[in-house]
Amino acid sequence: MERRSFLKGGAAAGVALASGGVAAPAYSQAANRTLRFVPQANLANFDPIWGTQYVVRNASAMVWDTLYGFNDKLEPQRQMVEAEEVTDEGKTWTFRLREGLRFHDGEPVRGRDCVASIRRWMPRDPMGQLLRAATDEIAAVDDRTFRWKLKAPFPKMTMALGKNATPMCFIMPERIATRFDSFTQINEYVGSGPMRFERNEWVPGARAVFSRFDQYVPRNEPASWLAGGKRMGVERVEWVIMPDPATASAALQNGEIDWWENPITDLVPVLRRNRNIAVDIADPLGNIGSFRMNHLHAPFNDVRVRRAVMMALSQEDYMTALVGNDRSLWKPLPGFFTPDTPLYTEEGGDILKGPRNLDAARALLREAGYTNAPVICLVAQDQPITKAMGDVTADLLKRIGMNVDFIATDWGTVGQRRSMRNPPNQGGWSMFHTWHAGADAINPVLYNAVRANGDGAWFGWPNVPAVEAEVPNWLAAANLAEERAAIARLNRAAMENVVYAPTGFFLSYQAWRRNVTGIAKGPLPFFWGVSKS
Amino acid sequence: MSTTVLPPGVNAAAPMGDIMPPVIARRGVLGFLRRNPTIAFGGLLVLLMVSVAVFAPFLFTKDPTALAPALRTREPSATHWFGTDMLGRDVYSRVLYGTQVSLLVGFSVAVLASAIGLTIGLISGFIRAADAIIMRVMDGMMSIPPILLAIALMALTRGSVRNVIIAITIAEIPRVSRLVRGVVLSLREQPYVDAAVAAGTRTPVIIWRHILPNTLAPLTVQATYICASAMITEAILSFIGAGTPPIIPSWGNIMAEGRALWQVKPYIVFFPAIFLSVTVLAVNLLGDGLRDALDPRMAKRL
Amino acid sequence: MFAYIVRRVLATIPVMAVVALFVFSLLYIAPGDPAAIIAGDQATPADIERIRASLGLDRPYLVRFGAWVWDIARGDLGTSIFTNLPVRTMIAQRIEPTLSLMVVTLILAISLAVPMGVMAAWKQGTIIDRAVMAFAVLGFSVPVFVVGYVLAYYFALEWDLLPVQGYTPFSRGFFPWLENLVLPAIALGSVYIALIARITRATMLEVLSQDYIRTARAKGVGQRAILFIHALKNAAVPIVTVIGIGMALLIGGAVVTESVFAIPGLGRLTVDAILRRDYPVIQGVVLLFSFVYVLVNLAIDIAYTLFDPRIRY
Repeated sequence: MERRSFLKGGAAAGVALASGGVAAPAYSQAANRTLRFVPQANLANFDPIWGTQYVVRNASAMVWDTLYGFNDKLEPQRQMVEAEEVTDEGKTWTFRLREGLRFHDGEPVRGRDCVASIRRWMPRDPMGQLLRAATDEIAAVDDRTFRWKLKAPFPKMTMALGKNATPMCFIMPERIATRFDSFTQINEYVGSGPMRFERNEWVPGARAVFSRFDQYVPRNEPASWLAGGKRMGVERVEWVIMPDPATASAALQNGEIDWWENPITDLVPVLRRNRNIAVDIADPLGNIGSFRMNHLHAPFNDVRVRRAVMMALSQEDYMTALVGNDRSLWKPLPGFFTPDTPLYTEEGGDILKGPRNLDAARALLREAGYTNAPVICLVAQDQPITKAMGDVTADLLKRIGMNVDFIATDWGTVGQRRSMRNPPNQGGWSMFHTWHAGADAINPVLYNAVRANGDGAWFGWPNVPAVEAEVPNWLAAANLAEERAAIARLNRAAMENVVYAPTGFFLSYQAWRRNVTGIAKGPLPFFWGVSKS
Repeated sequence: MSTTVLPPGVNAAAPMGDIMPPVIARRGVLGFLRRNPTIAFGGLLVLLMVSVAVFAPFLFTKDPTALAPALRTREPSATHWFGTDMLGRDVYSRVLYGTQVSLLVGFSVAVLASAIGLTIGLISGFIRAADAIIMRVMDGMMSIPPILLAIALMALTRGSVRNVIIAITIAEIPRVSRLVRGVVLSLREQPYVDAAVAAGTRTPVIIWRHILPNTLAPLTVQATYICASAMITEAILSFIGAGTPPIIPSWGNIMAEGRALWQVKPYIVFFPAIFLSVTVLAVNLLGDGLRDALDPRMAKRL
Repeated sequence: MFAYIVRRVLATIPVMAVVALFVFSLLYIAPGDPAAIIAGDQATPADIERIRASLGLDRPYLVRFGAWVWDIARGDLGTSIFTNLPVRTMIAQRIEPTLSLMVVTLILAISLAVPMGVMAAWKQGTIIDRAVMAFAVLGFSVPVFVVGYVLAYYFALEWDLLPVQGYTPFSRGFFPWLENLVLPAIALGSVYIALIARITRATMLEVLSQDYIRTARAKGVGQRAILFIHALKNAAVPIVTVIGIGMALLIGGAVVTESVFAIPGLGRLTVDAILRRDYPVIQGVVLLFSFVYVLVNLAIDIAYTLFDPRIRY
């Protein structure tokens, strides 16, 4: 502990005598084996398939293991699986588990645990739903093997089982996976991963504690994101939830915490100046900001109005408001897929490029017959990302002459109201802001928000047959070139019809104290390989 | 100066100067203000703040909602006297316009809570049947910490100045009604009120002639404290995220938005904090002064 | 005396009933849907409906109220919608930090404010009086979180004397526990000190001008004895009243202080629950706070009889 303690120093003897508590030297030794981490949000509940919050996924990745895992090139690698066999023209998959896999209660991981976990996961996941529709039968063969028979080949099987997009397919004991169905939260956290969740030390909203599971058998390969050997370098990981970024910043500087998941960019210069703190990009896959429109009602049911917004929208304004003055933290995004990934394309994105044309936007609005109908904007104030974007939107819409009805509310209300299909002035909505992790926007099956199947689509219910037609084309593509062609056509159709308006691609930082080593960049914080000196 | 012979052991009092101030200053407003410096000081500051609120558009301010993300988080300078916030908005303009909101909230809550509390207190004091129920309800509401009550009420509705005013008013009403009821109950026992009732004077007249004048003093003092407390409560509500929407700047939400940056750009929190503190201080001083002037015995209860 | 206590205790029941009805009804008509929040950003409307049903959020009002009251009577405060933990457990986890903060703040405030008020009354009209009162009023005017930030900046960051945030349980030692509470207590206490100092001064002034004080002075009783034995005892009633009323202020301020100093207490729990619409937690905590407030005032009413034999109900 670096911080000099005024009271402690002055009363060291008194502490030992009077309180009978833990004496200072012993305490700091134990502290070197505990990693104190400030997560992006509160860990309120802890069931990996129950919701899609990233913070739940991040914690779950410590507690449960997966059959496959993406490495840093987004390629699914075997994790719990030792080998798989694909027969019958791609319709039958036989998986064989590694030796020595155990749950936290000491039981070995068996084939039927995998089957039960997969069955619980499938209804909640978009790719899982596709798999379920294609499943003929899935059953355990013996303790270390299970077999999955499909009605049609599913080449992306390992991607589905190894992806990091939520919800991930984690393996839990059969008794838990069958006791709680896909729509009921689990309340037992027996995991298969390298860390055990200490439920009796959990204070929701304040602290979550994980301790090393010594019987975990890591793979031999070096760790790479969710693939490879997950070797824990510390004995305990404490998640400290801090509602106030200024407090977290001060705590990091003072050595009271070790690792901060997402420091706000304005505080990064202060952290950088501190010799004991290191700052780097958190996730090269970044995030995509979203201006989500309601295609069911006026004014955004008219594609011309949507395009008018796209003409006037300045991604620079949005991104600067979001991540500040650091230009290296954002990229313009004239497309829907994550930059620097295989399927990234700018096809059809010219409307977002070049100087902004407000006059053309206003003209297009007039042509579309927009006559001052109020635009109901749902803006959550308790999420810094949506709050910043909301302010920019209010300004933007006013400047092109739209009548803004700004509803400043909280994330919960946005979540409820955006599911309403009523007209905006009867409890519905016209637009809301959100963001998507870059890791989720790498292809159409991981990416709800780009789908446009009308009533079955995500909130906003865009209906663009041209987009939907490309999804099976992509699934059936034989090689990368065909995939890219399909995605390019999809992107163009999505742009021309404005499925939603991307406000830009942005990165964020993470910060840690220099006595902590092994911190990797990735879509989620990886706790294996991290140690403290 | 007379020379009186004093008994041994007793010291003469220090000679006093001219005890009687000039006749002119003794009477009138100036005399009043000179005798009550707290009212003078507090009142002056409040007046200053009110003028800032009223004349905000003319005090070299820009549009407080104008975004300029390229100019975000600039230090105070010649073009932006209080600097800019994280969206590039001019803090000086926002703080000055924020005066409007904060004063509006403070005054509205004070007036509304006093009026409604007065009514409820009068009803409760006079009509025994209603008293029991009303006082139970008021006790119940007072048991819930006012901040929690206000947050809960704000969580029911969307953030707006009107809803903030309503929420804080509801939280403040019980105390006012208690106060008024107390006065009414004690006055009812007074002989002259008794006489009036015996003489057949109708209740409204009794209220108007006897009760109201006596409630006015403590009510006014209480109203000033409510005003000050409402402004702080609005700041806290905004701090937590349950206050006025950011499109309408108020000192509370300027501070709330700038809180994350106070270590690097303290001016975003600093300037509204100063304005808020000065105004609340002024209103409190005004209340203290009024209380001392009207009836110093109130100090025990308030 | 005993009958009085019993009567006062019984009188709290209708008050609590009003609170219960109020709290319950408030939340029932609220918009904002916890089911949508749990489901997360990427969920479909069908998912949300299923979650609502599984949480029982679609039963009618009276049924829910009746069930709730019955549970409370048996000591079951329900289960949190979000964390699936019993509300009782969540409260129990968070009670120690808030209680510690309140106790330390109370002791700090009283031990600072009462002498301040006495001093100001004794030296009425002098610089000391005005300075003390100005200081006190300042405490009342500056928002709690601003005081907190300034304190944290200087004492924790710049001079490295105290920790910036967090809470150390008492079981880890008295001084570590106290260390974490010093700054929050000062920030929170600033409001309380102002209030108590003012009332103390005002009451003392009144008492000091009474006849029996002049008698004591004439008898030659020392100044200090007059102040502390005679005057303070008589001033105790309004001071204690204000301490009781000020509890509500403390609770409100605790919400903000806990947020600034990252103390895992009940204040933060309540605010988080309200903003997330975690109904069972909100109901449990607000009931608890009200209950404590009622108890504190009851204790004060009873304590009156100790201070002032003239008060008999």
